[in-house]
Amino acid sequence: MSSSGYSSSPCAACKFLRRKCMPDCIFAPYFPPEEPQKFANVHKIFGASNVSKLLNEVPTFQREDAVNSLAYEAEARLKDPVYGCVGAISVLQRQVITLQRELDATNANLFRYAYNEMPPLRPPQPPPPSAAGQSSGFCYPYQWNDPSDEDNERSSGGNM
Amino acid sequence: MTLKGGATSACAACKYQRRKCIPECLLAPYFPADQTKVFQNAHKLFGVSNIVKILRSLDPSQHAEAMRSIKYQANVRDRFPVYGCLGVIRQLYYQIQMLEEEMHSVLTQLEMYRQHHHHQQQQQQHQHQHQISSMADDVISQLELGMAPSNNALPLFNQVTHQPYTMQNTYSSSDIDSPPKDNVENNSLWIQHLFLDTNNHGTSNNDSPIAIQSQLLVPNSEPLADTQHQVVQDYDEIHPFFDSIDDRQSYIDTKDAEDSSRAKCSSEESLKETTQLMVGNVGSKDLKSAAACFSLTSVN
Repeated sequence: MSSSGYSSSPCAACKFLRRKCMPDCIFAPYFPPEEPQKFANVHKIFGASNVSKLLNEVPTFQREDAVNSLAYEAEARLKDPVYGCVGAISVLQRQVITLQRELDATNANLFRYAYNEMPPLRPPQPPPPSAAGQSSGFCYPYQWNDPSDEDNERSSGGNM
Repeated sequence: MTLKGGATSACAACKYQRRKCIPECLLAPYFPADQTKVFQNAHKLFGVSNIVKILRSLDPSQHAEAMRSIKYQANVRDRFPVYGCLGVIRQLYYQIQMLEEEMHSVLTQLEMYRQHHHHQQQQQQHQHQHQISSMADDVISQLELGMAPSNNALPLFNQVTHQPYTMQNTYSSSDIDSPPKDNVENNSLWIQHLFLDTNNHGTSNNDSPIAIQSQLLVPNSEPLADTQHQVVQDYDEIHPFFDSIDDRQSYIDTKDAEDSSRAKCSSEESLKETTQLMVGNVGSKDLKSAAACFSLTSVN
């Protein structure tokens, strides 16, 4: 709660946590009192202490972007508890793969038409979604490997 | 955490928390003991309690997928501390935009090539049709003109108009051996002869049929004007011929001559009309259409 000497209202984090919002509050610049839901989501998924630790590891000029990305991920996880924001990544990655294939086929068609004066071919149909190797057909685009840990290569859970 | 008589080791989560890993440990299937870094990332972002809270809110069948996404998200955040998965999403959006723009430009180029190819095909067809029509016109015009008097005449011209040439010879301006018949066909032959004769007078003998044709096509040209006069003049020359045919049937002849003169007058008028049609306002099509009246039907 705000002290008597305070003219400014506490930030959303301190208001949610029901604590005194100090002048050096790390959350105050990024969680204004007008957006209470933003901190509520972040706290529910990640926790205030984790967010505080993360913000302390990031340079000051990048903290706002970090908070915004955390708020986005928290909101996505609340909407989709199973996949969160990774579901959007999977969809976008499939789209990229499809577009790349179409573009390759169209380029080949253009080359064939331009240099051989042959009628252009029909573009290939997009491949059906294959569930082989994946129980849900989920596509994890980013491969993460821990260079200091050989265990990830052996383990099945680490292959993303 | 020390193990008690068990071959199984504690999971990474319990090892990190330094507690006994019970068989019912919720995180044990997803954080084996050898994946310490993965657990550290997940713990750093979410925390054990929050992960357990998420798993408990889901159906057990969904635990595996949820844990995959949680570990993925945590690993990305470890690699990109500021933007995390949002940075990956933005990168993918940018990639899609670039691909769509490239696709658009490639499709535009392809459409240009298609249109160009289509135009080329159309032009080739038009040229082919034009060639065919011009060849047909040339043949028709050559047939209408009859034989060319010059040595430079085209072979086709000579071949086709062989008969008319011999017939027209009988209608030379100097000698008229056989009476002209009062029919349109002979008059047409005669007119053709006049054209040729006029051209011969007006031009050199080496004129090609094309030059003759060009003279015919020019409206109000001198050869045509001269021809008009010559039609009347040459027609008048025929009258004495009728008078000298037979004295016994003079009445008949005169009557026939009158009839023939009337007919000739009418035919003369028709000829004049025809020549007028030929002279004035001509394009090649009008001449040809008029000449078509006296065309191949008279050439037998």
